[in-house]
Amino acid sequence: MDTILEFLQSGVLPTVLLVLRVLVPLLAFYVVWRCYTSFKKGQRRRDPVIMLWDEASGTRFPVLYWENSIGRSKSCDIYVPDATISRDHAVLMRRDEGWFICDTGSKAGVQVNGRKVEGRKLVNIGDRVTMGSTTLTLWNTDAQPREQRRLFTGFSREAASPLKLMMVATFTLLLVAVQGLCMGGELHPEQMIPFAAVLVMGWGLYSFSLGVLHRVSFEIETVAFLLSGIGIQLLAAYDIEGITTQIAAMLLGIVVFSFLLWFMGDMDRVAKCRLWIGIGALALLALTLLIGTGSYGSKNWIHLGPISVQPSEFVKIAFIFVGTSTLDRLQTKKNIGEFLIFTGACIGLLALMPDFGMALILFATFLIIAFMRSGSVRTIALVLAGAVLAVFVVLAVKPYVLDRFMGWGHVWDHINDDLGYQQTRVLTYIASGGFFGVGLGNSYLAPVFAADSDLVFGLLCEEQGLLLGLVVLLVFVLFIFYARSDVTRSRSTFFSIAACAAAGMLLFQTALNVYGATDVLPLTGVTLPFISSGGSSMISVWGMMAFLKASDERTYAARRASRRSMREKASQPPSRTREPSTQPPANSPSRRRTGSPSYGGGGRHARKEV
Amino acid sequence: MRTTGFRSMVLYILLAAFLGGLGYLLVNLFLNGGKWAMQPYNGHISGETSTVKLGDITDRDGSLLATTQDGTRLYSQDETVRRALLHTVGDPYGYISTSIQSTMSSKLSGYNIVTGLNNTFFNRLGSDIALTVDQDACAAAYNALGGKNGGVIVYNYQTGDILCKVSTPTFDPENIPEDLETNDAYKGAYLDNTLSSSFTPGSIFKIVTAAAAMERWPDSWSTITYSCSGSVELAGSDITCLHGNAHGTQDMAAALGNSCNVYFAQLANDLGAEALQAKAKEMGFNVSFDLNGISTMESTIDLAGANANQLGWAGVGQYTLLANPYHMMCLMGAIANGGEYVQPRLTQGADLLGEITGGSRQLVSSGEASQLKELLRSNVEYYYGDYLFPDGMNVCAKTGTGEVGEDKGPNCWMVGFCDSTVYPYAFAVVVEDGSGGIESAGSVVSAVLSALA
Repeated sequence: MDTILEFLQSGVLPTVLLVLRVLVPLLAFYVVWRCYTSFKKGQRRRDPVIMLWDEASGTRFPVLYWENSIGRSKSCDIYVPDATISRDHAVLMRRDEGWFICDTGSKAGVQVNGRKVEGRKLVNIGDRVTMGSTTLTLWNTDAQPREQRRLFTGFSREAASPLKLMMVATFTLLLVAVQGLCMGGELHPEQMIPFAAVLVMGWGLYSFSLGVLHRVSFEIETVAFLLSGIGIQLLAAYDIEGITTQIAAMLLGIVVFSFLLWFMGDMDRVAKCRLWIGIGALALLALTLLIGTGSYGSKNWIHLGPISVQPSEFVKIAFIFVGTSTLDRLQTKKNIGEFLIFTGACIGLLALMPDFGMALILFATFLIIAFMRSGSVRTIALVLAGAVLAVFVVLAVKPYVLDRFMGWGHVWDHINDDLGYQQTRVLTYIASGGFFGVGLGNSYLAPVFAADSDLVFGLLCEEQGLLLGLVVLLVFVLFIFYARSDVTRSRSTFFSIAACAAAGMLLFQTALNVYGATDVLPLTGVTLPFISSGGSSMISVWGMMAFLKASDERTYAARRASRRSMREKASQPPSRTREPSTQPPANSPSRRRTGSPSYGGGGRHARKEV
Repeated sequence: MRTTGFRSMVLYILLAAFLGGLGYLLVNLFLNGGKWAMQPYNGHISGETSTVKLGDITDRDGSLLATTQDGTRLYSQDETVRRALLHTVGDPYGYISTSIQSTMSSKLSGYNIVTGLNNTFFNRLGSDIALTVDQDACAAAYNALGGKNGGVIVYNYQTGDILCKVSTPTFDPENIPEDLETNDAYKGAYLDNTLSSSFTPGSIFKIVTAAAAMERWPDSWSTITYSCSGSVELAGSDITCLHGNAHGTQDMAAALGNSCNVYFAQLANDLGAEALQAKAKEMGFNVSFDLNGISTMESTIDLAGANANQLGWAGVGQYTLLANPYHMMCLMGAIANGGEYVQPRLTQGADLLGEITGGSRQLVSSGEASQLKELLRSNVEYYYGDYLFPDGMNVCAKTGTGEVGEDKGPNCWMVGFCDSTVYPYAFAVVVEDGSGGIESAGSVVSAVLSALA
């Protein structure tokens, strides 16, 4: 014991801690980057799963996605140039039970084996789907898997094992925790408690996910685990008393994450609950407005005995649920009026609180969802114009709202008043931290108001260094790429849009937090996901992770595979494995001998055989 | 789903904006990180456990002006030196933003963006800065100012070394007066008058008017004569000479020596507002000068819409004209140096970047420079008297009394240089609420030059 204390008091300690702080961002970067590359490696190739065959013309249409629009519009996934077919005629989609065809308000209707379809209808290999004067037959694909060439493979060819990445992430957190242990030249054993708690939760989720549910991927969870751990350790050094809330919130967040993944497993269930989710969200906001309390001018907290929650954080999850949609629904209900009204109501209620940061986040998310649903630049422009108008109206009625933001861009003229006090401190202490930080517990930003929430990026950079701050930002940047690369591979546009909305929302929120604190943008007072102190925020960001995770088709693959093996009945949905389907269809079309059609040119459009 | 996939590109707009913001933040951090970190409130520097050691600041002879001992910042042992060099060295709180401790704080602390203010050997190193100023000359200047507010700046016009830079009101950084913020006597104490203030120039502006005449009439300027009866009526009101003295008929040299307002007011009207304005601009009015990266206060002239009377007063440095001492010193350096001034510097050692960015300019043509030098020399030789200054300095100078109205005394100026290879000094001195050019400013110049001799 004496030797330990002696070591802590010696001059060697600062150097050792500095070395740790150099290692942490490097390891964190390794985890974050390898999670992403492993995720990319594990993805299915873009090969057709089944195909549709037009006997009359001999055209083969590869079916590439889980949900495919069929129609005469060139933007359709399966583009059939037939005047009797509607622009967006039908949707062919894959569900657990097999392939479904769904009429999306076509004029001529859809017939399967000669029978008119109402709503959706299961189709099997060999079934004939008639739309207008075109009849397509469903076949297993005969295309060879295309060689994938990627210019940049991310420094390594193989995917890292989830176990290895979790181990490295744990080690990274250990290094942070050791810094907490040796804070200020004294032994702080209590700093290891949050570390242990985070460890138990992370590895608990790991065993549950891979051991019980037999999922194959754990990348997003690993990154979330790493960031939560870094955040909790940072806050433990800031205030060990309040860390219990944060740990409990992480636990709840993981529960919410798992629940949402289960919930989204059945899309019919989601469709049924959607209206109630929307109503619930609005009710929650209205309730907050009624009985909510809060300091510094906004009433955005509800106190339930000893617990206080910020309901608007949960509304973010509901917002995505209400906004996103499956392809068949997108095709039939083209306008976004309903969603627009919901958004308006949410933002209106938030503005009354007033919680402008959250209102802005929802608005940005709305723009992303609205564009992904409608693709109409005109709609977006109209909404934006409306929003600008609304802002002007608000400013005309309440001009003092602007006062808060008057310091923006010249905070150095307001070093000692409200307009620039916080931002100048953040900038000063980020600069003081340098690349590797001054060490846990050595912060001078800590006494500044909101150092653990709105200004937490400053605290992170001051104590742990700019490099770790950048790694944290990289995570949110990569979430965009996670969402983007899943967008046509997910099981439904429901997941694609939800993942893009979640990734966009997180990045936007990060931007508001980081740039607000550093005077690139006005200071609005939103949390930095994972890092900021705040239970509701922690729970909600884990909820966001569920959207990203759900859009990865592998999330549900293991479960379905096991269910299928129980039934011992492969009802002909195409194989999910990477091997090309070697088994030829029982009654293969006769023309097939004349040679395989080539899908090499991109596989999007069918090519006619010569 | 392909369409949805394509539309998800909208996320890249957000991403681009995010990266743009990040780039902006990082670039600013790399450019200004030192300045951001070196704030007086920064606990890593001023805190009790601070390991940051600011380097020493010394004068040109190596006398210690500021140092750090056991975590506290100590200044020169001589109180007069502390007061005289406050604006050059800096105050403990960093309020004097043009001081070395503010502008070169990151160099003094050994700060760098990679290790920040981390407890590494970098920040315990600190780096020392040797200034070009001479503490004795500064102390002499401070004493000679005799409690008056003003500014004194002297430099070597061949090497660019600033030898003396004193601004008053000032205070002792080791004994900060409690009524610093409330007492009117300390009003403006955080401003360096030589760099960040400008004053009504009065008669020293006649140098510019004379140069404009040399440009217009290169062959005949020296023979232009006007007759002076003590006052002249222009556009309905009088322009008067000091004390109403009638100087009679004079040429340029006599008028400059007598500082005859009537002569230069009429000359300004014959030149016209445009020509005078253009010449002033050429000689550095309405242009910002630069010292160690600090932009100094501009000298200003705006003759747009001035009537004959106002133009007359402008020709003798009144009207709305303002002059900055640092600029006037540069102008004197240029005249002494054949028209182009050497960029002044405050720190010794190879300062390659400063040399390049500082950039010298031609302020007057070489012909005008030598003619002006002759005029200014004759001022001292025949009108002010060489006995005022140390022997062999061969001083060329012009005095000025800028009337500021109200019930205050005039801004008393003396600008000039020594036309000597041994003492290549150019100077500008301004004393507020003084009694006369030679009495108030001339005595300061004399004291500084004596200290430098």
